[in-house]
Amino acid sequence: MTARLETLRLWRSRRPLLAGFALVLFLVLMLIGFYTYAQTKTRGEVEFSYTFENRSYFNGLTFALYAFYFGFLLVLPIFAATEGGAQVAGETSGGTLTLLLSRPVTKARLFFTKLAVAAAYSALAVGVFLALALGVGLVVVGWGELSLYPGVLQMTDVPQHLSQKEALHRFALAWPAASVALCVPLAFSFWISAWSKSAVNAVGTAVALYLVMYVIAEVHFFQELRPWLFTSYMAYWRGFFREDVNWAAVGADGAKLVGFALLFTALSYRRFRLREER
Amino acid sequence: MDFRPVEAVGLERRFGARRALSGVDLAVGAGEIVGLVGPNGSGKTTLLKILAGLLRPSSGEARVFGHAPFRERARVMERARFAFAPPALYASLTAREHLVHLARMRARGMPRAGGAEIDRALDTVGLAERADDRVSAYSFGMRQRLVLAQALLPMPELIVLDEPTDGLDPLAVLELRGVLRRLREERGLAILLSSHLLLEVDELVDRMLVLAEGAAIFSGPPAELCAGTERVRVAADDPGRALELFRERGLDASLDGRDEVELPAGAINLDDAAALLRAGGVELTGFHTRAASLEQALLARLREAGAR
Repeated sequence: MTARLETLRLWRSRRPLLAGFALVLFLVLMLIGFYTYAQTKTRGEVEFSYTFENRSYFNGLTFALYAFYFGFLLVLPIFAATEGGAQVAGETSGGTLTLLLSRPVTKARLFFTKLAVAAAYSALAVGVFLALALGVGLVVVGWGELSLYPGVLQMTDVPQHLSQKEALHRFALAWPAASVALCVPLAFSFWISAWSKSAVNAVGTAVALYLVMYVIAEVHFFQELRPWLFTSYMAYWRGFFREDVNWAAVGADGAKLVGFALLFTALSYRRFRLREER
Repeated sequence: MDFRPVEAVGLERRFGARRALSGVDLAVGAGEIVGLVGPNGSGKTTLLKILAGLLRPSSGEARVFGHAPFRERARVMERARFAFAPPALYASLTAREHLVHLARMRARGMPRAGGAEIDRALDTVGLAERADDRVSAYSFGMRQRLVLAQALLPMPELIVLDEPTDGLDPLAVLELRGVLRRLREERGLAILLSSHLLLEVDELVDRMLVLAEGAAIFSGPPAELCAGTERVRVAADDPGRALELFRERGLDASLDGRDEVELPAGAINLDDAAALLRAGGVELTGFHTRAASLEQALLARLREAGAR
C-alpha cells in the first residue's frame, strides 16, 4: 500500500516532531501571554496569575479553549499547508513523483492516498494539540467549570457555563469537527501544490492566501465577502461550547466546510490528473 | 506481424515555440534492445516521457503494449518499467525500504514481489551489501543502480532506461551491460535505453535511433550507420607532398590524424596511386580501404543534420 510509504516518509521527514515542538512553544507563549496580560491589568499587584479577564472564572479549560482557538486558526492551517505542499509539489521538485508514476498505480490512487495520509496527520495534530492544551491547563492552572463571557475573543455573545464533565465532552466533539475544518486549508494547499513545481512556493502561496482570507473574514469591512470564504466558517466548532448547542447552525457551517473541501479536492485532483511532468 | 511492445508514429512535441520532437517514428520489438542516441537536448528524454505517459504528444501517436501512455499510464506500467535520470529517490529511506514499498505499488492481480525477489534485485545491481543504508549516504552511481533495481520488481516485459550509465564507473558500466544482456537472454526482456554516448550503447543494442534537434536522423542496426563510409587511406614517406599530388589529380583528398592521405572509396586503385606518387618522387608505403568508426559515422550524420 502506498499509504505505508507515505506514513513512513512523513515520520522520517521529522515534520511531526517540528510540529509538536511548535505547538508546545505556542502553548508556552500563550501561558506567558495570559500571565503578562494579568500583570498589566492588575498593575503588578498579582504576583503570578493566569487570569484573563476575570480570575474567578479562568481555569485550565478556559486556557485550553482559548489556546486551541488561536492555534487552530493560525498555527494548524500552516501545518496543513506545509503538508499539502510537501505531498505534491515536494515530490515534483524532488523528482520522486516520476518514480511513483513509473509504478502500475493510477493517479487517483496516488493522489487520494496522499490526501488521506495528510488528512489523518492533520487530524492527529488537532488531537495532540487539544490534548496538550488541556494537559498544560490541568497541570499549570487546574481544571474547573467552563465559563465563557462575551469579550474580545468573540467566543460567545452571551455568558455560557458548562460543567467540567460536559466541557470535556464538548472538547471531544470539537476534535473531529475541527479536523474536518482543517481539511479545507489542506485541500486548498493540495490545489496550489498541484499547480506548482516548487514545494516552497506552494507552501508560501497557500499560507499567504489563507492568511489573506482569514483577515478578510475577520474584518467587518468585508462583510459581503464573508459567506464566500471558507475561513469564515473555520471556527464553527465553537458552537459546541454553548450550553444549548445550535446543531442546525453547527451542521450548516460544517456542511459548507465539507463542500469547500470537496471543491478544492476535486480541483486539485483534476489538475493532478491532467498535468504533465516535464 | 510480430507484436511490438512500443510503437510510435509521427511523434511531435512542442514546448511553446520550440519543437522538442519532430515526426519521430520508433518501434521496439519483443526481446529487442534499442538504443536512443543523440546529443544533450536532442529530444531523447521527451520521447521517453511521452512513452511513460508523463507528457502528451502534440501530434502523432504512441502505443506501449497497445495502450495510449498518457491516458492509460497505469496499464502501461503493468508491463513496462521506466527509470529516468537523474535518479530520484527518498533520501530518508533505505534501499530495501524503497524496494519493499515500491513493489507494493502494483495493480490488482499483479504478483507481489517478495523478500527473495527483492534480495535478488539488490544482488543483481550490486547493492546487497548496502541494502539497509539510507539513500542519503549513497553515491550517484548507487542511486542509479537502485533505480534500476526497482524497475525489475516485479519483472516487466519492457524496461526503459534514461541515461543509465550516467555516474557509473567503467566497471559498473560493464556490469550493467552484462545485466541487461542477461535480462534479455534469460527473460526475453525488451529494452529501450537512451544515452548521449554512442560507445556505451554500441555493444549492446540491436538497433538504434539517432535523434538530432528532435528529429530522427538514423534508424537501424549500428553497423548500418557506417555503411557507405569506406575511405581509401594511402600512406607515403612524404604525406604532405602525396596530398598535393592527389589534389593536383583533382581528387578529394585530405590528411587524417595519422598522417595518411584519405580519399573517397574507389577514387583510385593501388597501381594508379603508386604510379602517381612515384612520378612525383614520393614512395607509397601503404594502401588500404577502411570504414569510418561508428563514432565518426555518427558525427558525420550529426554534422549533416546540423547543416540542414
